Amino acid sequence: MNSLFTPALLLLQGSMLDNMSEGVLRPDLSKFLIIAALLFAVGVAGVLTRRNIIVIFMSIELILNAANLNFIAFSRYLQETGHANAVAGQVFTVFIIVVAAAEAAIGLGLVIALYRNRETIFVDKIDLLKW
Amino acid sequence: MVLHGWESVFFWVFALAALVAGLLTVMARNAVHSALFLISALISVAALFVLLGAEFIAGVQILVYVGGVMVLFLFVIMLVNVGAEEREQEELFNRPAQVTAAVCFAALLVFGLFYAINQSAGRFLPDASEEAPAAARGERLRRAETRVSNISEDTQRVGSSLYRYGALPFEIASVLLLVAIVGSVLLARTAKQELAADDVDPLAVSDLSAAGELTPAEIEAAARRAHADDVWEQSKS
Repeated sequence: MNSLFTPALLLLQGSMLDNMSEGVLRPDLSKFLIIAALLFAVGVAGVLTRRNIIVIFMSIELILNAANLNFIAFSRYLQETGHANAVAGQVFTVFIIVVAAAEAAIGLGLVIALYRNRETIFVDKIDLLKW
Repeated sequence: MVLHGWESVFFWVFALAALVAGLLTVMARNAVHSALFLISALISVAALFVLLGAEFIAGVQILVYVGGVMVLFLFVIMLVNVGAEEREQEELFNRPAQVTAAVCFAALLVFGLFYAINQSAGRFLPDASEEAPAAARGERLRRAETRVSNISEDTQRVGSSLYRYGALPFEIASVLLLVAIVGSVLLARTAKQELAADDVDPLAVSDLSAAGELTPAEIEAAARRAHADDVWEQSKS
């Protein structure tokens, strides 16, 4: 628990500013992870708050891209530390892209069938299973 | 793994572009604007892939996502009505439960991230392992004289890893794509298109005639085709 408050302590000492400028000038693995996490959070916010089912699908694509960014960043990190199968992250990303393409095709087919039957694409209007 | 010089400048440019475009994707009222912002976010992420030395994945991202998936999205947005969200000019973030859940999730993520980065501070920094990349860079220079580019070599490694360690998942992925093609064609086809098929199901014909969606001539033609199929199968057996 103590280490949670170390940023504040470091800021008091003033050395965190040096750390931050160093981090800005020389982004390392953690910066990529932060960007990916923020993209993921934006995607989750889109999935939770939007009503248009197509925008929800697009937010899911954003989430998958955040995961891809993590995989690629760790792949590069492992390449430079001389790990055995360092490109496994890139291979995994290829599969994620394949599954995302299949998911988009099926999901948009469902959207078209849904629109034909119910005349709406808003998720709060599609409440047949709700009681 | 540390980016230097211009690489870090490009990193911040593309990272901020990806974040802003992602936010605008979620916040745009018009679904078409949303799709266009998502395209720019995907391109920014592809640029980050290039910075990370994954040129093949960046190319796949541009070709498959931007060239394929997003075009599909735009087609579907045009098929269903475009201006629906704009007509209902209500507040975009108007459901407090969902907004609270999203904010809580984001706070949890930021909290955990800061905790994890503090825990492992210094482990990501290159201290003792700084020598290895320098050696690798020297090796790369020598390799450049042999005219084998770094990009093609990386792609080759990804390809051999894909076919060596991921051969079974690769085949499964191709089957998945086949199922996705068949499924989306089946889902998107209308009742009349179904009736126009050669191997129409007699049960579907009776369902549709009961629903009263078809003209008598269409039902008769389909029933004749269905009956002809029955006769054909009987004559075979």
